[in-house]
Amino acid sequence: MDRFLFLTFDGLARGAVLAAFALSLVLIWRAARIVNFAQGAMAVAATYVAFTVTAVTGSYWAGLAAALVAGFLIGAVVERGVMRFVGNTSPLNPVIAGLGLLMLIQAVLGMVFGNAYRTMVTPFSSDPVEMFGITVFSSYDLFVFACIAVLVGGLVLLFTKTPLGLRLRASAFAPDLARLLGVRTPRMLTLGWALSSALGALAALLVIPTELGLNPHAADAVFVYAFTVAVIGGLDSPAGAVLGGLAVGVLLSWVSGYWGATLAPVAILVLLLAVLLVRPGGIFSLAKERTA
Amino acid sequence: MIRSKLRLGTAVLAASALGLASCASPDEGGEAADVPGITDTTVTVGTHQPLTGPAAAGYSTISPATKAYFDYVNDKGGINGRTIEYIVKDDGYNPANTQTAVREMVLQDEVFALVGGLGTPPHSAVLDFVNDNEVPDLFVASGSPTWNQPEDYPYTYGFMVDYPTESRILATYAQEEFPEATYCFFGQDDDFGEEFQTGLEAVLGEDGLADAQVYSTANTDIAAQISSMKEAGCEVNFLATINGFSAQAVGTAAKLGYFPQWMASSAGGDFNTLSGYLGENTDKLLQGFVSANYLPGYSDTEDEWTAKFAEINEEYNAGAPFDGNTIFGMSIGYLFVEALQAAGENPTRESLMEALESGDVTGNGHAPLGFGGDSHRGYTGAMLTRVDNGVQSYFGTPYVVTGTEAEEYTVEEYTGERTAMPADGLPE
Repeated sequence: MDRFLFLTFDGLARGAVLAAFALSLVLIWRAARIVNFAQGAMAVAATYVAFTVTAVTGSYWAGLAAALVAGFLIGAVVERGVMRFVGNTSPLNPVIAGLGLLMLIQAVLGMVFGNAYRTMVTPFSSDPVEMFGITVFSSYDLFVFACIAVLVGGLVLLFTKTPLGLRLRASAFAPDLARLLGVRTPRMLTLGWALSSALGALAALLVIPTELGLNPHAADAVFVYAFTVAVIGGLDSPAGAVLGGLAVGVLLSWVSGYWGATLAPVAILVLLLAVLLVRPGGIFSLAKERTA
Repeated sequence: MIRSKLRLGTAVLAASALGLASCASPDEGGEAADVPGITDTTVTVGTHQPLTGPAAAGYSTISPATKAYFDYVNDKGGINGRTIEYIVKDDGYNPANTQTAVREMVLQDEVFALVGGLGTPPHSAVLDFVNDNEVPDLFVASGSPTWNQPEDYPYTYGFMVDYPTESRILATYAQEEFPEATYCFFGQDDDFGEEFQTGLEAVLGEDGLADAQVYSTANTDIAAQISSMKEAGCEVNFLATINGFSAQAVGTAAKLGYFPQWMASSAGGDFNTLSGYLGENTDKLLQGFVSANYLPGYSDTEDEWTAKFAEINEEYNAGAPFDGNTIFGMSIGYLFVEALQAAGENPTRESLMEALESGDVTGNGHAPLGFGGDSHRGYTGAMLTRVDNGVQSYFGTPYVVTGTEAEEYTVEEYTGERTAMPADGLPE
């Protein structure tokens, strides 16, 4: 029982990050109908900015703020500078452009910062806290939960309660109609990318200290899992991304703990296959699938 | 048939190159020109390395160190008047890229030999190709025993102490030092982990490991595995891990309030690299950390090899961080130069292979090389290092493992002396 609880909590902590990252993919998909394969590299680029700012100022919080700002700007630049010109004539175009961008960003990061892993400081201890008589979350895990909860909550408020959110949703769901009604849809699209990229940056910043460290490839594995989460939850569904993220995190931990680490990635793929066969739109997809 | 055509083509090319060369400088002799990669003034060798991609973090600094050593040798006049040209191709640790890179080097650049190709999966992809083309394939940078198959792969030679040898030494030491302890194993889920575990069980017995856990490089969260080892009461944990996961294992265990004795493979026990991952808590977390090694220790300032390599690193490698990878790269460079020197004034591929088989090439390791007519095994033993107050240093005597079969082997202390460094670190 102790082991079960330990594995579950460990999985939830990791799942929270997957959820945030998957959510960032969902945001872009909703806004632009694009699966952004460069999302991981963009998030890592923003994390390097945070790393540099923290190194210069000595403050973790300045780094955190810098990651959000850098993520926001990178998202905007990628949309304005690249994705806008790719066109949607074939669904493959943005995929190829995304992959190209991924390689470009990783190569440039390697040239500028080197390929070595860099240690990142955390504002709270990673030592676990005793709860229910067993060791579970660390204070850092709790900080990760809090950060992600605040940001996801903020996004929900933004999208559902503000005029800006309404315009964002309008341009995502009915761009032509929204434009006729006076919404500047291109600008909304850029904003959607920027928000998504900032969220991805936060997720990367939070997860990298718990992994091997900062490296141009630090988000590769996280991206793959998060992409799976987004498809399982439904690319259209923010709630699906969050719940899917937590579920996949826990599943990874259980499989790794009870059957071995080698099987964990396989289990996720089996889950993905099952979802695609039974409910291709994802578990939480909208009742009626919209087409691009 | 195809090969003979290729050879013919090569011969024509070589002949025309010779013609051109003799036009340019008529007074230079041309007797060496029919050996691929050898001219009167140069020896061209190649390697495949992960300069980009996920493996770059651990290994991209090795080939610059090898190159720095070659540059140093070239500045001192080269070998028998020939300078060494070192072609480094990036394969990103991807076997498909390795195939392209190595084909290009062998067929187009016509390298004399491959030196220090890195990684088990990448190099396995070109093993048949280089042997079919009879290209000397020297000092593969991987601890897999695959490279020691002189019958099937006569042109391939190992370098690193292989995983089963290393693990036998670590297990033997553990039995001497911690006879009553509970032994466990944490390793990578590929041949590295498997070979290592086989070696451990050969010494400790089939039931010698109370818990054996593996990780996949696709998943850096290893809390499940480490907590299982903690629950199993493991006291001495053997690690068949790359540096990143050694650090992750030690770090995760510390977070769980678990401080066992670690005993790591040389592939994942480099203090400098580990401290890069662990950050400021390194000294505390790695106190007492034991790992195997066989090359000069980079923090061992008393060691003449280390001092020389540090000097070369300053001058020819732009003062790059000096660590285990630097020593590794330069030691491969040294061993090649030693072999080339022994291959005679006008080396051919055949004379190079003969020089290696003679067993006269000794390298700079703490244990002897296994090179001979019926063995292409790299270093046959290792010495142990321990971390104390943030300094990793050798202790005790080296061990050597004879025999590579699971049933027939002995682990014994090695009493021979390591070869003294020749003047200026240049083979005589």
